Amino acid sequence: MPKSINVDPGRTRLPDHLELPDIPVHRYDTPFAEELESHGRRSLVELLRHMMILRSFESGLAALKSTGKFGHLEYIYKGPAHLSIGQEAAAVGAALALTPNDHIFGSHRSHGEFLAKGLRAIAVMDEADLTAIMEEHDDGKLRDAVTARLDCRGVRDKAERFLLLGFLAEIFMRSNGFNGGMGGSMHAFFLPFGAYPNNAIVGASAGIATGAALQMKVERRKTIAVAMLGDGATGCGPVWEAMNFAAMAQFDQLWDEKGGLPVLFFFTNNFYAMGGQTSGETMAWDRLSQIGAGLRRDACHAETVDGTNPLAVADAVARKRSLLMAQRGPALLDVECYRYSGHSTTDVNAYRTKEEIALWRLVDPIQQMQARLTRAGVLSTEQATEMQAGIEKLMHGVFHAAADPDVCPRVDPASIGQKMFSDLKSPYTGTLPRPLREPESVPRLRQTAKKTRRGRTASGEPLSPMRAMTLRDGLFESVLHHVLNDRRVILYGEECREWGGAFGVYRGLSDLLPHDRLFNAPISEAAIVATAVGAAIEGGRPIIELMYADFIGRAGDEIFNQLAKWQAMSNGHLSLPVVLRTSVGSKYGAQHSQDWTGLAMHIPGLKVIYPATPYDAKGLLSAAIACDDPVLVFESQRLYDKTELFADSVPEGDYQLPIGVPDIKRAGEDVTVLTIGPSLYPALDAAETLSQQGISIEIIDARSLVPFAYDSVLESVAKTGRFLVVTEACERGSAAMTLTSNVAHLAFTQLKSPPRLLGSPNWIVPGADMEEAYFPQAADIVRMVSEMMANAGGHRRDSERLRLARCGL
Amino acid sequence: MARVAVKIPDLGNEVTEAQIDSWLKSPGDMISQGEEIVAITTPKVTVELEAPASGRIVDILVEPDEIVAVGTILAIIET
Repeated sequence: MPKSINVDPGRTRLPDHLELPDIPVHRYDTPFAEELESHGRRSLVELLRHMMILRSFESGLAALKSTGKFGHLEYIYKGPAHLSIGQEAAAVGAALALTPNDHIFGSHRSHGEFLAKGLRAIAVMDEADLTAIMEEHDDGKLRDAVTARLDCRGVRDKAERFLLLGFLAEIFMRSNGFNGGMGGSMHAFFLPFGAYPNNAIVGASAGIATGAALQMKVERRKTIAVAMLGDGATGCGPVWEAMNFAAMAQFDQLWDEKGGLPVLFFFTNNFYAMGGQTSGETMAWDRLSQIGAGLRRDACHAETVDGTNPLAVADAVARKRSLLMAQRGPALLDVECYRYSGHSTTDVNAYRTKEEIALWRLVDPIQQMQARLTRAGVLSTEQATEMQAGIEKLMHGVFHAAADPDVCPRVDPASIGQKMFSDLKSPYTGTLPRPLREPESVPRLRQTAKKTRRGRTASGEPLSPMRAMTLRDGLFESVLHHVLNDRRVILYGEECREWGGAFGVYRGLSDLLPHDRLFNAPISEAAIVATAVGAAIEGGRPIIELMYADFIGRAGDEIFNQLAKWQAMSNGHLSLPVVLRTSVGSKYGAQHSQDWTGLAMHIPGLKVIYPATPYDAKGLLSAAIACDDPVLVFESQRLYDKTELFADSVPEGDYQLPIGVPDIKRAGEDVTVLTIGPSLYPALDAAETLSQQGISIEIIDARSLVPFAYDSVLESVAKTGRFLVVTEACERGSAAMTLTSNVAHLAFTQLKSPPRLLGSPNWIVPGADMEEAYFPQAADIVRMVSEMMANAGGHRRDSERLRLARCGL
Repeated sequence: MARVAVKIPDLGNEVTEAQIDSWLKSPGDMISQGEEIVAITTPKVTVELEAPASGRIVDILVEPDEIVAVGTILAIIET
């Protein structure tokens, strides 16, 4: 919505027609002699050798998986094996055209891509760097295992064995696997070789690679990110969101540093999405490359290339890489190839004929490449056979070593809990970013400066949000401090720039920050979150906004499977300092008013806060931004204008409050009332009413939900003997349920009456006029507290609650 | 000739006050209906109010930075 772009009906309504660019299909025709000349004989023999290694590795895994044997090794491997036998040229060809500093993000079927990227990096990196990498990784434990069990002739030889053993140990989920056994077959990665996380969720790497490219662009690195996707991923909405995000017009039109994101969407098109046939059955395209034309006038430079020939693939990737370096990204490649192996080892090829598989074996990438080299007199058949035999021997050694628990120890499951959060902070040490103008000259800041930092008048009356610091101002000041003092922090989401976010938290920041630090994202919640994951993996610290918490559903995989899991799945090699801010609405009915803290709390790996006062909002958000773990920040729309009613004032400077520590907002003796988010305020009103009846409640504001220190709550319950949680979420499966259950468990002997929960009914949230009947009000709290007080001696059976449960309500 | 008041409009049911950011016009200026005349801020947004009628601004009644209630007359336009 920048006013600089004028939508002129005089122009938009002119008769016209669209011409789409030429999309080349199988146009590679470089003579092999020329390739030999440009790459060198040795490099092309290496290309063949790398393909042989990929196939040998996966054939070993296939044998283990299907028969429990590989050579003399007997081993039951229980995990997944999504093999890419037949697709080696796509992986090895792409790797040939990439540098170690280019990052690939793969799929569930990425053994080959991972190995190809690693082998290529080993071939081109300095030996001293390779030695240092092996030394530094996991304190040299993996290197020591390699040295102990495998013959190595030189540093590169050792590095290749390090790659194979680290990867297979990871697939077997052993503690010295590349990701400490936390990732496995579908999630393995090794950053020093530019092999970034593979992903078990189809298409998920599209958004993550796009975010990586965003960070590369922001840092002006001369590298690219590659999303390694399958043809089936073109059916996934988040992939389209990512491709659009990468190709957004604003990069060319509004950003200082022009050009779309340096990301290559590399579709390894094997014609099948598990058992569904993409071209001809489940997708609308007949050639995958045509989808580029749906994204941008330049069709994202899309091409279909021969994925059975690594040189055709390398040629295309090199050309796309040049375009990305010339700031003409993103790019898209449709790399046609074929997997002979089933989707997984349970696949019996119900969806394709033997004849079809036989036809593709005639264009086998390894045999073709070997034939080219033999014809050109570069490699004799005997030499090729000898090379293959050497690889087979090596692979048996690697498999024996990986299966041996003395070489590759099993993971102690008790250690997994320690990997969920790092609880670290990584202060910024670079040069301070320069704002576009002096912050003091920005109207929003001048207005805030005039507000009082207290929330009440001298006589105790709450001040108006125009005159006193509000919760919105607290959030703003925290964000402002961090964007001005940490170049790694970037902000985006829907209408975040000129509008300042739908609820005005960022209002005024567009005066200070260029587009590469604050921009409007498309209505693509999946891409917003996925790109933040990618940017964080690459060293950024994105603060993203989802307009309504209800839209979490639109980013379900990205929040629950990506943001929440990568720190643990990486064994701590990745940190995800992402802050996801989202508002909890009201008045707009069932799809715009839900408190979904329960969902966020349920998924391990996310810190969750829900501040309810300006002081808490500022201090907790600052802690969230400073911390290296992903944090979901819930903000109630009803509280944005709340002034500070508890702390003396909201400090002007930056400060952090500990995440996970509830706060006593009002002391009392008879009942402990723990509130989540906005429920604090009806509880305060209830406290007034109850005090007139001689009942004193102690109000504790949860402030955070994950982590959560029960100490102050238990101390309070020890005093009161009665416990009530109040939440605006519907009760079933809510965060409040977890709190209630834990308090019942931890304070059972101290409770004089059953712990109670007051939440919203298990209905849809009704319209604005009916909300008072839905969200717990002060009168409801008064009623429940009175019941608890009257019910001190025992407990009656709650037949209404039983009836509701029977009805699913 | 008529006198038309420029007021703080109703900006939604939760907004009761707004702050004057800056005057974009001065007393004596001729303006056309729809021209932006004053920038105001609520807790959530900054908006430019448009002249409700064409004419000459004869009076400006509220200074920048003042906080006033919804409905307050900010200026008078003589048509």
